[in-house]
Amino acid sequence: MITQRGFVVVFAGVLLLTSGFSFVNFYLVLLGVYLVIGLVVTLPLFALTANLAGIEVDRQIDKVKLFSGDFIRVRVTIRNTSRRHFDFIEVHDQYPETWILAIGENFIASRIEPGSSMTFSYILQARMRGRYYLGPTEVIMRDRLGLHFYKRILKEQTEVLVYPTWKDVRRMDALGKQRQLGLMFGAHRTKTVGMGSDFAGFREYSPGDEFRLIDWKVSAKRGDMVIRQYEMEKNVQIIVMVDSSGSMGNGYPENTKLEYAIRAAVLLTHMGLERKDIVGTCVFSDMVHGYIPPGARPNHMYSVLEILAMAEPTGWSDYETAIAHVVQQSKKRSLIIWMTDLEESPAPLLNAMKTLVANGHKALVISPFGPWFEAPVGQFGPVEKVLAEAVSEELWERRNKIARALSRFGINVINVGPEDFLPVIIRAYEEAKQRGVATF
Amino acid sequence: MAYLVYFLLDVNDFWHWEAPYTFVVTVFRLLSLLVFILTTTMISGLVGAFAGGAMPSDLIVGLYNTLVLRTWYMQPYGVSGPMINVTEVWVSFQTNLMEVLSALWDNTFLFLYFLLAGVGIALFLQSIIRMEHKFVGGAFLSIQGIVIIAAFRSLIVPDLNPFPPDFMAFLLMSAQILALVSFAYLEVSYQMIYSYSVGKPVEDREETLKKQLLALRQATRKQDAIERGEKVSITGMSRTTGATAFSFLREAIERKVVGTQDALENLDAISDVRRLQIYVDELFNTDSKVKDELTAKAAAPSSSYVIGSTITGSAIRFLTVVSISFILMSPGIVSTLLNLPVGIQGSVELFQPEIVLLFLVPVVLLFPFIAMVISWFSRREVIEKEKLTKEEKEAVKERKKDQARRKREADKARKNRAKERKKRDADETEVDDWDKALEETFKR
Repeated sequence: MITQRGFVVVFAGVLLLTSGFSFVNFYLVLLGVYLVIGLVVTLPLFALTANLAGIEVDRQIDKVKLFSGDFIRVRVTIRNTSRRHFDFIEVHDQYPETWILAIGENFIASRIEPGSSMTFSYILQARMRGRYYLGPTEVIMRDRLGLHFYKRILKEQTEVLVYPTWKDVRRMDALGKQRQLGLMFGAHRTKTVGMGSDFAGFREYSPGDEFRLIDWKVSAKRGDMVIRQYEMEKNVQIIVMVDSSGSMGNGYPENTKLEYAIRAAVLLTHMGLERKDIVGTCVFSDMVHGYIPPGARPNHMYSVLEILAMAEPTGWSDYETAIAHVVQQSKKRSLIIWMTDLEESPAPLLNAMKTLVANGHKALVISPFGPWFEAPVGQFGPVEKVLAEAVSEELWERRNKIARALSRFGINVINVGPEDFLPVIIRAYEEAKQRGVATF
Repeated sequence: MAYLVYFLLDVNDFWHWEAPYTFVVTVFRLLSLLVFILTTTMISGLVGAFAGGAMPSDLIVGLYNTLVLRTWYMQPYGVSGPMINVTEVWVSFQTNLMEVLSALWDNTFLFLYFLLAGVGIALFLQSIIRMEHKFVGGAFLSIQGIVIIAAFRSLIVPDLNPFPPDFMAFLLMSAQILALVSFAYLEVSYQMIYSYSVGKPVEDREETLKKQLLALRQATRKQDAIERGEKVSITGMSRTTGATAFSFLREAIERKVVGTQDALENLDAISDVRRLQIYVDELFNTDSKVKDELTAKAAAPSSSYVIGSTITGSAIRFLTVVSISFILMSPGIVSTLLNLPVGIQGSVELFQPEIVLLFLVPVVLLFPFIAMVISWFSRREVIEKEKLTKEEKEAVKERKKDQARRKREADKARKNRAKERKKRDADETEVDDWDKALEETFKR
């Protein structure tokens, strides 16, 4: 392949040759011949040495799973396994478009001797959750004069799974450390008398009570049999239903309804695990993409993060399939928090709620309102503004109807925007804790 | 090269140093004639339209005297004072115009020689400072452009006519020396640029890393100072510390500056910068090789080897090119190789420059063909395949399988539900609370 520089030489050669022919001048012809021959003379030798099959590229990364916003070091080693040197080799290691190159450079250009290797590294910041691939690596070899080149793309890719951002959790922890009592503070554990270790009070003995619970000293004082009561620690079981239908992906890439729903699910799971509650997560659209049953295993958080990382806004919302799956898997009474934009037909939603209530679960709908997440009205012209407002009103009316229908059965629908999505989810969790909804 | 061109073309005696001045003056003379004709046309038109008469002759004569004769000293031969007659003016105008155009044609070439020489020398100086191919190529073409234009003007230019049959005689011809020097200039410059550029990326990398780390350190310190409540200019920070040297920090700073109203956004920007600093510090503490890898120091080639190989490479290329070119251009070799009849051997066509094409085209095409064959063979080894380990392949397969199963199950469940609903609708006439709610809310 001839480079741009090579084409300039061709042009100059042809210009001199044609000038020589036109003006019957051997000097110009000779110079033209020099240039043209100079361009091609080393081409066979270059083709012989530029056997890019002798180049091996090895990419190493610190970790294969990381949080959105985390940094990762990528080490690239280029080995020349052939018996020939490469005069000028350029290696470009590609990384996902949305990521940011934080430190270093993702390419190198140098000369490489036979049997030797060179290593370079760079630091990237992973942005936006999902499954990403580092690579492929583009290797370009040029001749000494830069007139010819060969290109090879090494397709080895390194898979990296980027979890949703952890910044909300970090922020919450930071606020907690500063004792700025935020929304999550003031939660109270549901107090239920029963088996436990914290003393709750006394009551009169009734037949059937265990003898070991009798407080003999107090009984002697009162002259009547009295037993000690203990506070039973009750925890709530929550299942977060994250709708990943196509409409949830509308808006700016990092500010879609789905992204907020995922951030909310991460925050809720973290809070639940901190307080010994159990939180499960289901990601669904027209099928169940992933379901992690409520649990408190040490790696439960990572299982949740994994299914949330891979959620993509596609398909439509099949609430009935999702709830059928969850109800089948989870028999215990749970508080089911739906995070959906309610942009599907209401009948399947009501059917899903019917199934849910029939199985003894409680439900709450946290619904991101589309227009609040999409283009700000301020950016529109007058006509677009009016149209946007009309659409917005219609959508609002529609969801109000759904909310009214659901409220008959004690299911609340909370409309949220980007600002109050996370506070609302925290508040809902606190209320559930305080009211003892779906305790186990 | 420039001197040789000057020296070889000096026999034409066209290096008149006033050429640029003459050219500029001629251009202005032509312009003044054009202004004169435009002005008279416009004034005539206006006079005709508004006064209904012809433009006074005095005005035309006056204009000619002022714009042409007095300003540019274009007095016709034999006329000493200003013009007084309009007929004289038009005759003089025509003569002047023809003279100026002819002078301009001559001067343009003269001017071009100087212009190309100037541009060539300027580009040569640029190529020394910047070490870029475009300047080298530009300088070469500019200087050779002088010869091409001189050849076009049928001046005495360097030539090798008749083409010498002896290689030594060929090497020692003055035109050949110019050609060799010109080609050697290109070759050596390109080789020098290679030597320079092969080590440059590693140097640049080291420099960039230094700047990035310094900018990061300073940005973190400023952030700390801001948090401590000290007064620090944020915009000053980005400019003075070179923090804009890399995109990450630039973006972080932009988020900090732009998002002043959003406190959380600020927190993120600050935390990103600080976290990067912590990450980098940790890397430097745990891995001693990290700096060398980030700068790719080990990748820098040995300078002595590069210089040595540059000299030998240039010499081999140079000799090969000269030898092949001599063979291609020698009519004697051509006729011997082709075993041509005597009539053709003595024909005048054989001594024309175009005869070069007879060998040049096939030989020139032969080299890329050989290269193509070689690369075709070697490329067979470079058939790229997605390289996945067995586990990765299994995982991908499993994922796809699982996805398909879920989809199947969902479809099946949907169908079952629809069937049951149909059956229930047929069996039951009673509507439950949920259906009522749905109906009441949505069906009016």
